[in-house]
Amino acid sequence: MNTTNRRVKLSVRDLTVSFRTIQGYVRAVRGVSFDLYEGETLAIVGESGSGKSVSSKAIMGILEGNAIIEKGKIIYENQDLTKISEENFHLIRGKKIGMIFQDPLSSLNPIMRIGKQITEAMLINGKHLKNRLKELVHEPRMKYVNTIQEKKDLINRYKIKIADLKKEGKKEEIAELKAQVKTQLIDINQRIKEAKAELKKQIPMAKKKIKDDWKNEKLKAKEDIKALKEQGAPRQAIRDRKEQLRRYKCVTKKEAKERALKVMREVGIPDPEKRFRQYPFQFSGGMRQRIVIAIALTLDPDILICDEPTTALDVTIQAQILELINRIKAERNLSVIFITHDLGVVANMADRVAVMYAGKIVEIGTVEEIFYDPRHPYTWALLSSMPDLDADSKERLLYIPGTPPNMLFPPKGDAFAERNKYAMRIDFELEPPFFKVTDTHYAATWLLHPDAPKTEMPEILKKRIANMRNKHVLEEVKDNE
Amino acid sequence: MNKNEQPILSVRGLKQYFKSGFGRNKLIVKAVDDISFDIYRGEVFSLVGESGCGKTTTGRTIIKLYEPTDGEIFFLGRRIAAGTLSLKEEIKRIKAETKEKLRAITDETEKAKIKEESEKRIAELKAEIEQRKIDTKREDRELMKKMQMIFQDPVASLNPRMVVKEIIAEGLRIAGEKNDVVITKRVNEMLNTVGLLPEHATRYPHEFSGGQRQRIGVARALATSPEFIIADEPVSALDVSIRAQVINLLNDLRDNFGITILFVAHDLSLVKYFSDRIAVMYYGKIVEMADKNELFNNPLHPYTRSLLSAVPLPDPYYERKRVRIPYNPSVHDYRVDKPSFREIKPGHFVYANDEEFERYKKELKD
Repeated sequence: MNTTNRRVKLSVRDLTVSFRTIQGYVRAVRGVSFDLYEGETLAIVGESGSGKSVSSKAIMGILEGNAIIEKGKIIYENQDLTKISEENFHLIRGKKIGMIFQDPLSSLNPIMRIGKQITEAMLINGKHLKNRLKELVHEPRMKYVNTIQEKKDLINRYKIKIADLKKEGKKEEIAELKAQVKTQLIDINQRIKEAKAELKKQIPMAKKKIKDDWKNEKLKAKEDIKALKEQGAPRQAIRDRKEQLRRYKCVTKKEAKERALKVMREVGIPDPEKRFRQYPFQFSGGMRQRIVIAIALTLDPDILICDEPTTALDVTIQAQILELINRIKAERNLSVIFITHDLGVVANMADRVAVMYAGKIVEIGTVEEIFYDPRHPYTWALLSSMPDLDADSKERLLYIPGTPPNMLFPPKGDAFAERNKYAMRIDFELEPPFFKVTDTHYAATWLLHPDAPKTEMPEILKKRIANMRNKHVLEEVKDNE
Repeated sequence: MNKNEQPILSVRGLKQYFKSGFGRNKLIVKAVDDISFDIYRGEVFSLVGESGCGKTTTGRTIIKLYEPTDGEIFFLGRRIAAGTLSLKEEIKRIKAETKEKLRAITDETEKAKIKEESEKRIAELKAEIEQRKIDTKREDRELMKKMQMIFQDPVASLNPRMVVKEIIAEGLRIAGEKNDVVITKRVNEMLNTVGLLPEHATRYPHEFSGGQRQRIGVARALATSPEFIIADEPVSALDVSIRAQVINLLNDLRDNFGITILFVAHDLSLVKYFSDRIAVMYYGKIVEMADKNELFNNPLHPYTRSLLSAVPLPDPYYERKRVRIPYNPSVHDYRVDKPSFREIKPGHFVYANDEEFERYKKELKD
């Protein structure tokens, strides 16, 4: 598949996220970069604690309160999602980037009817007049909110730097930094004041405009109804005209229900009219996950982030949900980020795969490259630690010794070196950069350095890949006949 | 595996119903509904199926965490638990029948004869019920310590307030071991077997990683030197990289100690790798049971086929070609022709009625 000339939908550059805890800063994501192309599925694989969920939460802007985006960019439609304000994010979260969570039971409200949960977002987001006001004063408002955000970011970054410097005990530099930040703060405060004044000036003007428009619309509707009545039109027509007027003002319940039923049908829920009035406990696990997908789809996003959507489900149900996601993706030309630790699911869903370990992407490539030509020792270990259907229990599984590193104290050099039997001395000292294998395939391991000794992947994996290849060749021959 | 040998565990017509509610709201959930199987020494027998199909309930009933509603469980030739539902129903049936008969007959002497006969039969059944109750209630520690369980969730199944030594030694103490020197020696031995160090004995469970915790669970199960272990989804809560450690450990236990394992799981590639025989469960019933290769090569029951077709493999090419076969229980027409669990080929059982049985037989020949 040629991905190079397709449009980049979302681009993550050197994203670094830390969590502030009592023990110190947990470096959950340490410089992750990837591109998401239009209409593709990018799978992010890794064990728990590798930072795959944190990076997706950063994209959605729903990180926990103690999380700090230290550096990096998330570029979506020429905007940096790490820099824009919460207010601005409302225009993107849900509407442009949707998300499906792991546990379909805990992401639904147990005491609220399904229908209400699906239509909730539509109704809340559907206050057209209020939205219009926001649109009209968008520019000054954004300027105001952005400067406030800038201030917060500055303070956060400053705190981290101070903490780092204190550890190293550099008193002079702390004083210098303090003075620097002080001048910056004065400047920002001034800018906030100006933005506020501008905003206050613009709001009444915008409000007046909206009011006038609404009055006009009302008058028009009145006249129409009058005309209809004189013509002796059926009652339904008059009702429809009234509904139309209401719809100018906001998304009505009726409209929301129509849209919800349509989406419910799309995700394959039988008898949606009846299901609309039921509670989550009346649904099975697979059906619940379908509801969650329906909720994500109501606002018509173009990127869908699936955070382990099938881990809590059975194989048969899992297969159904995966089929559903694939179908919706094709129908709506969605770009999907699929987070999972199940390599079988990855092989099914992904166009490209990123393997994460200890907050970093260690290997990224197309699905064929990762499964048939893996280069990173961690990818080798992951692939060979799974039993496949041809394996015999006489053959021992390869396992990864030890545990993932504690991210309070991220290791020097390659994070996987501790558990890697192919590790060289340089792995413990220097972090490996990305080495290019092909245009689409990169791996961060010193083994790919031209000076490194020739290393082969484990025997068991080699055999398995050869087996898979043979099977395909045989099948192709059969197909050609 | 020698078929002539006596099975280490045999389950006959096991039923486990759960009741809830009263009166109009009374609901009976048939979690396990009439299943029978034998497990032979040294083999790994797997139960697979979707969640809610009763596989965990089966394991828990076998180790006597529940009292069975009906059916019998034999362990090492002794009956360890039995339910009484079918006997009670039989008594009811006999009572109704005799009433019916008595109404038709007028002759007094014959009436007395029939009455006596039915009373004798009822007394026999009542004695059997009593016996079964006694068998179920009896706590035979010598026997039951030969059966142990490994639980699914390594976090929830270890008491957070006990150190590892206490956790592992608990079974030994219950089995009557009082000498601390012996216990310490045994605990260290067990830690060694599962690949942990003796100094881990004084630590608490929270100080361990997921894989290590599950190994503590295995060590606890091994402490009383059991012959039979029930492993209830032992790896499904673990990470991929750690999963392999625990599976290798279980594999070693089987090879080195000859332990028989009942393996409850839903991950089919793992089951195929690890077990000798597989039983597929669907809504409380075993629908198919066979040797692992036989089951994967010649699945007969539509549900087994559907289940096998849903397994994703780490092979993108295969995945692109894989077609999922949906299963619809309404393909079975059991209104007239009642299904039963029968052997279609030596060692290969399937749940089917006469018509389906003939069809499967034909398919098997082709």
